Amino acid sequence: MLRATLKGMASRKARLVLTSLAVVLGTMFVAAAMVLTSTMEKSVSGVIADAYQGVDTVITNGTDPAAAQGNTPSAATVPADVLDRVAGVDGVDRAVGEVSGQVNAIGSNGKLVGTFAPTIALTWDSGDDSGYIEFHEGDGPAADGEVAVSAKFVADSGLDIGDTVTAYSYTADRTDFEIVGVYGLSGDRDSLAGETQIMFTTADAQRMLLEGEDAFTTVYAYGDASTDDIAAAIGSDEYRVQTGEEASAEAAEGFAVVADFMGYIFLGFGLVAVFVSVFLIINTFTIIVAQRQRELALLRAIGAGRGQVVRSVLTEATVIGVLASVVGLGLGLLLGWGLSQVVSATMMGGLPVQLLIPATTMWALVVGIGVTVLSALIPAVKASSVPPVAAMREAVNPPKPLRGITIAGAIVFAAGTVLIALGMTDNLGGEELTGILSGVGIAFVGVTMLTPILSRPLVALLGAVMSWSFSGRLGKLNAGRNPRRTAITASALMIAVALITGIATLVSSIKSTTAEVLDLNLNSDLIVSGAQGGANIPSFSRETLAEIRELPEVAAVGDVYMDFFGTQIDGEDAPLASSEDLNAALGVFGGTVAEGSVTDLAPNSVVVDEGTAEDRNVALGDTVEVTYADGETAQLEIAAILDGYDLTNGWWVSPEQIEHFTLPKPMQAYIQLEDGADAAVVQNEVDEILADEPEVGVTNNAEFVDQQTSGLDTILAAVQILLALAMIIAVIGVVNTLVLSVLERTKELGLLRAVGMTRGQVRRMIIVESVIICLFGAVLGIAVGIGLGWTVQRALEDEGLTNFALPWGLIVMYLAAAVAVGLLAAIAPAARAAKLNVLNAIAYE
Amino acid sequence: MSTASPVKTTAVAAQGVWKAYGQGEAQVVALRDVSVEFASGAFTAIMGPSGSGKSTLMHCLAGLDTTDRGTVGIGDTTITGLGDKALTKLRRDKIGFIFQQFNLLPTLTAEENITLPLAIAGAKADPDWIKRIIHTLDLTDRLSHKPTELSGGQQQRVACARALASRPEVVFADEPTGNLDTRSGAEVLNFLRTSVDDFGQTIVMVTHDPNAAAYADRVVFLADGQIVEDMADPTADKVIDKMKHFEELVAAAQGENA
Repeated sequence: MLRATLKGMASRKARLVLTSLAVVLGTMFVAAAMVLTSTMEKSVSGVIADAYQGVDTVITNGTDPAAAQGNTPSAATVPADVLDRVAGVDGVDRAVGEVSGQVNAIGSNGKLVGTFAPTIALTWDSGDDSGYIEFHEGDGPAADGEVAVSAKFVADSGLDIGDTVTAYSYTADRTDFEIVGVYGLSGDRDSLAGETQIMFTTADAQRMLLEGEDAFTTVYAYGDASTDDIAAAIGSDEYRVQTGEEASAEAAEGFAVVADFMGYIFLGFGLVAVFVSVFLIINTFTIIVAQRQRELALLRAIGAGRGQVVRSVLTEATVIGVLASVVGLGLGLLLGWGLSQVVSATMMGGLPVQLLIPATTMWALVVGIGVTVLSALIPAVKASSVPPVAAMREAVNPPKPLRGITIAGAIVFAAGTVLIALGMTDNLGGEELTGILSGVGIAFVGVTMLTPILSRPLVALLGAVMSWSFSGRLGKLNAGRNPRRTAITASALMIAVALITGIATLVSSIKSTTAEVLDLNLNSDLIVSGAQGGANIPSFSRETLAEIRELPEVAAVGDVYMDFFGTQIDGEDAPLASSEDLNAALGVFGGTVAEGSVTDLAPNSVVVDEGTAEDRNVALGDTVEVTYADGETAQLEIAAILDGYDLTNGWWVSPEQIEHFTLPKPMQAYIQLEDGADAAVVQNEVDEILADEPEVGVTNNAEFVDQQTSGLDTILAAVQILLALAMIIAVIGVVNTLVLSVLERTKELGLLRAVGMTRGQVRRMIIVESVIICLFGAVLGIAVGIGLGWTVQRALEDEGLTNFALPWGLIVMYLAAAVAVGLLAAIAPAARAAKLNVLNAIAYE
Repeated sequence: MSTASPVKTTAVAAQGVWKAYGQGEAQVVALRDVSVEFASGAFTAIMGPSGSGKSTLMHCLAGLDTTDRGTVGIGDTTITGLGDKALTKLRRDKIGFIFQQFNLLPTLTAEENITLPLAIAGAKADPDWIKRIIHTLDLTDRLSHKPTELSGGQQQRVACARALASRPEVVFADEPTGNLDTRSGAEVLNFLRTSVDDFGQTIVMVTHDPNAAAYADRVVFLADGQIVEDMADPTADKVIDKMKHFEELVAAAQGENA
């Protein structure tokens, strides 16, 4: 029996290759994801370990490890006297205090250096003999006012040795420094992982990052003193004492996040590929079984048991699963290695890659083989039910009735819909989101089961468009002939298109919501703001704001100051906002006052929106206690309640309180122009005023929406790669189905050719069938995807996602892609059908 | 070669046709120097035992297969050497086919199957003509049925109607009654006879059934790839009698060749 199976497989190589391809792709992406993640982790820990090379003990302020960096208002530090105590411990050869954090450095173009990877500020340790820092030119800063910068900084900033660099931080104003040295890191690298670095003297670093406090963010001790001895010498629980290895491992964890994220994306690709392959494998084996019906019946007739037939098919699946998974694993390892190189080169500044293949990669094999064998189970059981008498009969495969699967599908779909409805109407006792999401998943399965019955009207409808020629009409009829097969073939495409359409619909809904909020209410014409980046929240100076106010075309400016570093109202975390003239700002924002007044706010007053007021159970005239970032508290009286409105929700304190803010500088300004003013002209004027403001720019409202939602487009683009991948698998599925159709209809094709159908007409007939199957999958996928997007949008309506918008452009693109897939998939089967020898075709069977 | 039926014009003619399959030792010669003419408006049966080459001859005559040597003509056209496109067009416009397996398209209704060759050609059907065939074949109330809803006899009658729909120069029928019971077979044969007598249709039918051959005007006997007998106005008894003495005929033919 095994021999017969293997020989049978060898005679159907092309089909096996096609089926295997799906399994190969799935396994490949799963394996690549695992290799990428662990390789990047290993590579990152490698370079971090380099950085901690020779460091025996690391002392940090243990109260808040997350805050153990300069430049945040609550930087937890290690005071200078702790350094002295550590230095005095027996066995400590040398102890060094480091002040590290992030600063903004202004490059030669007036913009911030390293916007997406902030400039890391460090202190120069002249006693460091680890060789980790390698000077290309010059030396470390010998006196205050001097800095050394990394080679990556030079490359990004356009500044070089001898130039002056301006740097500032949350707590330090702009200060000029002279670049006296340019360094790289051991291993001929420009940076640790793509960041820019600047190295100050200890005193300068303390000024820049710690407001001049004589303290450090970290103390390094060299020598063989034990951590216990050092901890005892410090004599306070407030400090963490770690070995160099421990600190290195902890630091590496944080760095590996990028790699993990990439890993998850590829794992997602892999799992979608695996999921789609299930359909392909089921279909292929169903096809193989159908083709071998006579052979199987013959085997049964000469005495093979049902179990033997099942085993024969499963053996075939196992062989495919093993071969494909092994190939997929091999390719996955290569892909993982290649991706690691790409990630390290593009996102981690040329981090040296240390390949690590984790043992868990073997799971890709298990997944590949398991999915193949399980998917083949249904066709295998079907194969065993072929009656021996079928060997003597002509092979006919009458389409099975669809009632069973349709009823089951309808029940599943209804169950999913009910769950969604219950979730939306808040009837699931706090588990609404889980309910809605499971409902979506269940409804999805239901739709998949309903595809065969849906294929009838939809194929007829889509076919009507293509029936302008007789061969087109025949193609349409053929596509509708076996609803189950058409449905399962189209399902692969449906899943991919549904996912992508769902996400695209959400993205366009978010964009539309954002745009509407701005369009409907906002009276501004221009907006000054910056993308988050650098060390600080983007801000600009009060003087700049004043200059903008004075422009003759400017009617009003709504400015916003914000703080959320430890700010509290009545002991609960609450971001604070303020505006120099809240009344004018509300006018520009289009916000309205429900109760009280915002004109001439008293210094000790606060304004809040009605939603927040309700949550906090406070009313007009009540007094609340505010805690500022600087630790000061004050009693404020609620002077006004605002109507709920996204742009103005929250706590607004009077302008007199701005001095308590971490960053007492405006962060955004919404500019309303005089009637008749030319926005483009004023935009240029404002742009000039902003020439010396590296963090912000001026946009009109439309540009502002784009800027706010540009991240979404990146996500969408990434997800669309998914579509491309799933499409490859879908093409394989369609090819498989068409090849089978051509084989099954050899006689019909022969007849058509005999009675005068040209090869071109035969080709057109197959192409139309292919395109209809693909369009069916795409149309269904788009419908399901829109449903998916709509459900999620409704679920998030309360969170502010009020608009539902369809991504029309993308939908048209997906349909076009489906047609392209259909044409592509039809190439080989159509050529095969056209080349059929008429005589053999008629004599077939 | 005896020609009993009056020759009007020649619908199909083969001149010195040779056809062999396979190579070397395994080579089988299916047709050896066959020359035969089929008159317009005549019903000719080709008979012979299995492997005699009768199907091969029909395929070569119908432009479904190529000849190794010799020429085949249909009407005024010499089809030998024509390319696939020209042959396809020729089959579409000048030839009708009836097969043993009916070979209807299951996706089309009976009516659509009947007009299939016209639809492929993008030509307009002559409604009076189609109506007349359908009426003669008693298919009027079966037109909207799919092939699976028709009996074998009905299916073959649809196939007959299809063969005649485009008024081809010649209809080739390959064992048209092979899959039918006696009564249905008789209906089909009666129709073929009628189409010759009433419509002036030319029919070439391959069969091994003496009773079927008896409907024809003429029977050509084939054995070992050669024509061994040409009988006019056959009856079933005459045909059976001839077949009984087949071995002698073959021997005689081979003697002639030698």
